[in-house]
Amino acid sequence: MFKHVISELKEALVCLEAGQVTLKYPYAPHSPAANFRGKVEVDVAHCIGCGACANACPATLIDIKDAGEGRTLFFELGRCTFCAACRDACPQKAITLSSQFETATPNIADLQIRLVLKLVHCRECGQVVNTRRAVDLVREQLGRDFGGLAWLDLCPDCRRRMSLQDPDLVLEVMA
Amino acid sequence: MTNTLLDWCFKRSIWVYHVNAGSCNGCDIEILDVLTPYYDVERFGIRLVHTPRHADALLVTGPVTRQVRERLLRLYEATPDPKLVVAVGSCATCGGIWHDSYATLGGLSNVLPVNIYIPGCPPRPEAILYGVAEALGLVPKKVAGQIFVEA
Repeated sequence: MFKHVISELKEALVCLEAGQVTLKYPYAPHSPAANFRGKVEVDVAHCIGCGACANACPATLIDIKDAGEGRTLFFELGRCTFCAACRDACPQKAITLSSQFETATPNIADLQIRLVLKLVHCRECGQVVNTRRAVDLVREQLGRDFGGLAWLDLCPDCRRRMSLQDPDLVLEVMA
Repeated sequence: MTNTLLDWCFKRSIWVYHVNAGSCNGCDIEILDVLTPYYDVERFGIRLVHTPRHADALLVTGPVTRQVRERLLRLYEATPDPKLVVAVGSCATCGGIWHDSYATLGGLSNVLPVNIYIPGCPPRPEAILYGVAEALGLVPKKVAGQIFVEA
């Protein structure tokens, strides 16, 4: 009995020494570690709508649809697993994972991102070539005209057809 | 008078019943973490109970498998009104990586009316604390949807 009381007193002393261990969180702000992966954020100024993120996403939460004049990228972040595969896949570095973890919401639409980017259609057949931003990027990165810049707004099939009709190119291949 | 008193009580002592609806246990471990002295959710009067009949809130994890659907509905009916339904984790929120699987129903919202979604895989214990506090109206919502249309 006496021993038991002594051990309880000892325990109380240990607790006193430890002080308060409970996090002050809801009353004081909390910042996660530097490399914490939180809510996905898309830089709309840099996204070219290439779809690399959609290919990489294991939860397939990025839905890409071409309709009419625009390509819609729809992020359903409710099922995001914060793996950052999209961030690693993005050639434009347009996707970042912020440190935002307070993502609780009563409305699922708060966890959705919708981007609509302008499309370029093939000038011959009208098929979708790519987004306007992607075509502009190719034009910018080529730097100078190789004689092919006029083909940038053609779909792959029409490009093949045009190259067969181009006498200069056929001569080049035969030479 | 009685109603305000009830509201006051309801905001100060939420008893939760935790349902695993096909979760991988990741979210369940984080919920357990919230109950430890480090996060100590009991300081808000929130405690885990052993039967839905004592509960004010259902804390559901997992994408809701076909097997668990009927049990989940029975648990929901056994919980007295007014009740909160909290979807914890990406699976319960939108189905997670199982959203198109034949074995799951793709998220809790397809089965029960959900009051608050706490996404995360698993959500941080702080995120769960924040979500519960938000459901009680103690803290504001911090996320918003984004729509961008190129001109």
